Amino acid sequence: MKYDFLDPKALARLGAIPVEARQAMTGNVAGRHRSPHRGSSVEFAEYRKYVQGDDTRRLDWKAYARSDRYYIKEFEADTNLRAYFVLDASGSMGFSAEDDARIQFARKLAATLSYLIVDQGDAAGLSVCQEKIHLEIPPTRRAAHLNHIFEVLSKTEPSGETGLVEALHTIAEKVGQRALVIIMSDLFCDTNALGDALQHLRYRKHDIAVFHMLDKQEIEFDFERPHRFVDMEDKTAVVAEPVLIADDYRQAMRDFMQAVRIKCHDVHADYHLITTDQDYEEIVHNFLTTRLPKKGRK
Amino acid sequence: MSFLQQSLLWGLFAASIPVIIHLLNRRRHRTVKWAAMEFLLKATRESRGKKKLKYLLILACRTLAIAALIFAIARPLVGGFLGWGGAKIDTVILVLDRSASMEQQAKGSRVSKRVSALASVRKSLEGLNNPRLILIDSATGVAQDVPSPDVLEELSSTAATDTHASIPSLISSAIDYVLDKSPGRTEIWVASDMQVSDWAPQQGRWEAINTGLKDLPQKTTLRVLSLASPPENNMAIRVLASRRKANELVLDLELVRSESEGAAAIPITYSVNGTRTADKVTINGQSYRFQKRLPLGKLDGNGHGFVSIPSDTNVRDNVSFFAYGEDSPTQTYIVSEGGETTDWLALASAPPGLDRSKSVRMTPGSAHEIDWQSASLVVWQAPLPEGPVAQELTRFIESGGAALIFPPRGESDVAYLGINWGDQSISPRGQYFIIDEWDEADGPLRNGLEGTRIPVPKLKSIKRRAIEGDATLLASWDDDQRFLVRRVIGDGTAVFISTLPDYTWSNLADADVLLPVVQRMIAKGDTRFGSAFAAIAGSKKAQTTEGEIRSRLDTHAKSNSSNAPYEAGVWKLGDRLLATNRPKSEDQWQILTSNNLNSLFEGTSFKLFEDKGQSDSLAREIWRAFLIAMLVFLITEAILCLQPKVKKSKS
Repeated sequence: MKYDFLDPKALARLGAIPVEARQAMTGNVAGRHRSPHRGSSVEFAEYRKYVQGDDTRRLDWKAYARSDRYYIKEFEADTNLRAYFVLDASGSMGFSAEDDARIQFARKLAATLSYLIVDQGDAAGLSVCQEKIHLEIPPTRRAAHLNHIFEVLSKTEPSGETGLVEALHTIAEKVGQRALVIIMSDLFCDTNALGDALQHLRYRKHDIAVFHMLDKQEIEFDFERPHRFVDMEDKTAVVAEPVLIADDYRQAMRDFMQAVRIKCHDVHADYHLITTDQDYEEIVHNFLTTRLPKKGRK
Repeated sequence: MSFLQQSLLWGLFAASIPVIIHLLNRRRHRTVKWAAMEFLLKATRESRGKKKLKYLLILACRTLAIAALIFAIARPLVGGFLGWGGAKIDTVILVLDRSASMEQQAKGSRVSKRVSALASVRKSLEGLNNPRLILIDSATGVAQDVPSPDVLEELSSTAATDTHASIPSLISSAIDYVLDKSPGRTEIWVASDMQVSDWAPQQGRWEAINTGLKDLPQKTTLRVLSLASPPENNMAIRVLASRRKANELVLDLELVRSESEGAAAIPITYSVNGTRTADKVTINGQSYRFQKRLPLGKLDGNGHGFVSIPSDTNVRDNVSFFAYGEDSPTQTYIVSEGGETTDWLALASAPPGLDRSKSVRMTPGSAHEIDWQSASLVVWQAPLPEGPVAQELTRFIESGGAALIFPPRGESDVAYLGINWGDQSISPRGQYFIIDEWDEADGPLRNGLEGTRIPVPKLKSIKRRAIEGDATLLASWDDDQRFLVRRVIGDGTAVFISTLPDYTWSNLADADVLLPVVQRMIAKGDTRFGSAFAAIAGSKKAQTTEGEIRSRLDTHAKSNSSNAPYEAGVWKLGDRLLATNRPKSEDQWQILTSNNLNSLFEGTSFKLFEDKGQSDSLAREIWRAFLIAMLVFLITEAILCLQPKVKKSKS
């Protein structure tokens, strides 16, 4: 295949599981996802009294015959899903200890999910954010559009400082209709600012999913000899004795992960902490299955 | 502390290896591109202080562990004698106390203190890579080069003797040696049992010794190896006097023991001219004096022998030798101003019934006619002698004679032996001068052999003359004025009494006091004839003079010819018959305390090591302690390196 982040076998295996929204979506075409509006599907919703101006064709004459009152019979409306993949392309996303770089892992996830979404007739778009560049591909349902997304993914290289928070605010402002916003980032930014951006998205009634991508070495910090650590974003360097700072580092990392988790929980985001040594197919599988509606609901 | 393998201490540089590795590691760091820089910076800021201290402790533990290992391999020696700071020594001057008391068994050992000291010194010298050894022994006082410490215990100059040791003289000799020979970095080691009589702390020369030590041009350390354990289960016998009385040999003997409580029956062997007899004596206190009369039968001329008790912890003081000459009558010369005093003195010196005692009356003017050779006692009641008579009298006393000196009736300002007569005093009417205190253990007023007291309080005086000058007070009047004083000159004694046996002066003539005093003084002077046959081992008298050949007469033991002048025994020195014994001071077991020693060497950096007998080496190897220290450091390092368990978050 042309793109090394796509695995046809994995796509085939994952294709059986639909990508579901966890809340009602507002699409522009009919689809398989719930809509907040009443529509013409076969799923009965409710009765309501007739008011002047209502289409008389929707009067329930049988109800009128029984009660001598005018009732309008309403049905659920189904619509399509529009998904925005927000890919953090800051320098820190290029970090790699042993496995694939974090950006490569993000490419796999974004490409696989966008394929599945478009394949089930929903729309997928991509937003790549860096410090100064904010590239955006609006969501469409066309299969040819996928190529465009894959092309951008393959050409995106991590550099500079992160622009994730600004990108999230931009999406919240620009996307008027409810959408599924899938964030793929290491979230190495100000957690309070991140929390505000997530709140902004939540305020716009978007369904938020967060793939918090870290490297195992970043969590465990198992260095022994002194190292010179160079910041991947601003290139500042620090010489440190890992044996001296390991405990404090790990504690700081635990605090950070906990803070991110709380921020995501506050906005009911679908939070997934993943490390780059994990199998991405399994991650996608878990993501999809946990989003499936529970029994008794559609 | 010193080291057997001092060169291995260069290995201490290896202790810097952990520090060098640490510094190299700091320089040889790898560069890593890092994303989570925010947390790294935060951790770096917070990790200063406690963590750094912990890391430094780990580094210190590693360094100290290596240092401890190197020290252990270098075989460190430690001990109070060699002490800390021991360094390379060029010369050791060993001042060895060879006195008789050094033959006392060392505490917890079957060998004598002398042998124990020699063994300790030999082992210590081996530990110091055998520096040059100079021996100054107490018997000869001569400095001699010892080729190897291994032969130290085999030299005749380190063998047992019956002599006295003069430690101040020996240390002075060592100082003189250092000044004379400049032997490089030197240590003076004094091995002694710290007997007070040997150290003579009262001598004024200690000040000069201290000054000498401080002024030495080279750095010289003085170390004292003290073998000061008090004697246990030891008993000593001594012949105080031996003389022939007609067909009997009269021996005045003294037993001294280390224990002071409980009665003990001591078997005593008497050997006279090769004939042995045995007897038992019961001793209750710490010392016991008694007299033994041994029949000589028809043996004429000189004789000799020894008295011995069973061997104990010091065999050198279990025997005492004697020799005697022809019997001769005791001759007392009474130089007097006349009057009843002369009569009473003549009666007291030659009482009826004592045929061997003769008294000759003389005036001060005819005193030069005294036959000093035959005199036992000279009683002088006249102005003190001066001129040639005074010189003759002094020589007589020094040779062992006795002089009993009474005040003149008139005033006299002549001084003799540093003493002169002061003013005459008369008691108030109806009152008397009486004796208040007197020495009941020593002097002519001492108690009898059975402990009987002399009725001194019966003495009443109305007239007396003050005694002025420096002398030992043996009895005093109730107003603290001196009644009887003693001056010891050479081998003899001069006694001054402040009143007269004259009823216009006192009732001294009543014989209660005068008779025992005069007879005891005669007995004292009589020993002069016996003392001609007696000498202290190692003394000048015991040495051969030109043309004399030494041969041992007694059968008690055999002597090494080179050590014979310093051993007790009966000797034939040319025509002389001489019994040599250890000095009396060797039976006085008073020990010099460390405080006394500190005051003796005040201002000098001397080091004291008290040998308790646990080890025959003055220094102990302590490499095990360093190995244990190394283990402790390594365990500490391991504990510090252990990472605390981190509670993993549920994520």
